[in-house]
Amino acid sequence: MRAVVCEDWCDYDDLTIGEAPVPDLVPGGVRIRIEYAGVSFATTLVVAGKYQRKPPLPFVPGTEVAGTVLECGDGVTRCKPGDRVLAVVDWGGYAEQMVAREANVHVVPDGLPLDAAVALCISYPTSFGGLCWRANLAEGETVLVHGAAGGVGLAAVEIAQAVGARVIAVANGDEKQAILRDRGVEHVIATDGFRENVESITGGDGLDVVYDPVGGPVSRPSISCLRPGGRLVTIGYAAGEIPSIGFNVLLVKNVSVMGFNWGEYVGWSPVDRRDRYADEVAEMMQTLFGWWRDGKIRPTVHASFDLADFRDAMREVRGRKAIGRVVLTP
Amino acid sequence: MRAVRCAGWDGIAGLCVDDVPVPAIRPGCVRIGIRYAGVAFANILMVESKYQRRPDLPFVPGTDVSGEVLEVASDVDGIAPGDRVCAFVDSGGWAEQVVHPVETVYPVGDGLPMDAASTLPSSYATALCSLTWRGGLSAGQTLLVLGAGGGVGLAAVDVANALGARVIAVASTSEKRDVALAHGADAVIEPKDFRPRVRSLTDGRGVNVVFDPIGGDMFHDALRCLDIGGRLLTIGYAAGDIPQIGVNLLLLKNIGVMGFSWGTYMGWGPDHGREVFAPRVRPQIARLVRMWRDGKIAPRIHKAYPLERIADAAAEITGRRNIGRVVVHP
Repeated sequence: MRAVVCEDWCDYDDLTIGEAPVPDLVPGGVRIRIEYAGVSFATTLVVAGKYQRKPPLPFVPGTEVAGTVLECGDGVTRCKPGDRVLAVVDWGGYAEQMVAREANVHVVPDGLPLDAAVALCISYPTSFGGLCWRANLAEGETVLVHGAAGGVGLAAVEIAQAVGARVIAVANGDEKQAILRDRGVEHVIATDGFRENVESITGGDGLDVVYDPVGGPVSRPSISCLRPGGRLVTIGYAAGEIPSIGFNVLLVKNVSVMGFNWGEYVGWSPVDRRDRYADEVAEMMQTLFGWWRDGKIRPTVHASFDLADFRDAMREVRGRKAIGRVVLTP
Repeated sequence: MRAVRCAGWDGIAGLCVDDVPVPAIRPGCVRIGIRYAGVAFANILMVESKYQRRPDLPFVPGTDVSGEVLEVASDVDGIAPGDRVCAFVDSGGWAEQVVHPVETVYPVGDGLPMDAASTLPSSYATALCSLTWRGGLSAGQTLLVLGAGGGVGLAAVDVANALGARVIAVASTSEKRDVALAHGADAVIEPKDFRPRVRSLTDGRGVNVVFDPIGGDMFHDALRCLDIGGRLLTIGYAAGDIPQIGVNLLLLKNIGVMGFSWGTYMGWGPDHGREVFAPRVRPQIARLVRMWRDGKIAPRIHKAYPLERIADAAAEITGRRNIGRVVVHP
């Protein structure tokens, strides 16, 4: 089969496309004919050997796929041949076929385009887990979303709206701010001066939840914006700097900082716990699918590239200003 | 009346017992004839000017009391002279009488011994509200209590057991560990190398919640005792050092650190007065009284000292000899 192969740790652009053996079906495995594979920046780190998780060489990169089930291994009950599915996988996505573990495979509802379904592999579950599992965001609460025009940020905005929370979105630049207003966000503010703006928007009451995929200089001032009982969810460090927090600040302000790492739920941690969380994850996916049916979340595709153009696809990811996912078609 | 006075920030050694005027009743207040007053680490920090709250000098320390209502301001309803109460007061507890706004005065009814009653608005309320409001501890979950022999630590063991949680208690002496067992701990361990012990006691999964009134070195290991989704409650820093962490550890391990400061709910925060929190707090004190009546909790008094021996009382705490609560009586 056609596949992008990583023979040794390298720059993303030094990967090659070629023939790879079709992977064997294993018990508990699901063979998927891949129709779309998501392209995300993290893959450049994985192939360079700089990610916390290193696949065994050689391997096919790519962690988000959508396609059709071709066959199921012994013991598989969550899907059957012919099902349209998405899967968040360890690696193997940049290929015509792959064998995923059953716990990672979710049957997508009729009508949800498979290219859009790719966004439901990582961005939406990350934001759902951070806001709903970790922070217990409730209807009527006020949530500040940093990096709100980015992939997980926009997913967080939609999920918070679906929960019934009041959203304050932080994004910089007219274009990004317009995207958020277009999505019905009432309060869209810039990073500069966000504390003062939050203060006036909340009438001094402060925030219940902060969703923080940015880190660095925004985390600590965000903690100051929390009201007693408030929670900051740390999702990533797009600003490059990892903030350090003194526990006494949390104590005096009666607030919490919690981390959410979706990878641990899908088998990417040193201890593989994907089977332990399979039911919870399946339930989350059903909630997301339900919100999609109700028009509350809008996973979108920005651009589609042929598998052979995987380098152009990554350039688009790095440089893109528009929202939505970049996908490959094998 | 006799009272302990703090005239400078010289710590316990600088305190003296003096005759001071009986405080006058004020609108919205009740006068309490004090039977017992708690002596806690926070009180000691306060007279050293090391606490987040700094009363004006001179003042009478002591924040949690039990006794009888002597007088009620004309604008106060629902409480009458002769009522047995416990109360959390801004200051003035280490004295024969105190006058305080009624919002943090709680009737306890008959039967509950007065020394035990003095623990309810402080250590027991801290334990109950931090574990349930902040930590989300529920029946069947596992709690690790650090400093389980101390006043608030033992209260956490007792309350968590009453809530149906499984409790692992860490305490420094065999006597403290015996008392923790008697208050419902399911397992007790020494501070040395507690992490592998917790691992094996939880089949490698870790605990759902850590109750940490200690800070210092232990919290590093305590954080690593948490299961996915686990929460560490930071309650105080008896060890002296205030922990700092890079928040990426919270992300990688899928855990949270939650601050809890009881003072906020007693009206000590910058933003909200005690009347804002009173409707939430009052039912919790009533719940603790019910728990005692049902035999589910048994506050332990380490030792009761006369006011004149406040230095000896405090030395039990700074010397970590107390098992349960130290109290003074006027």
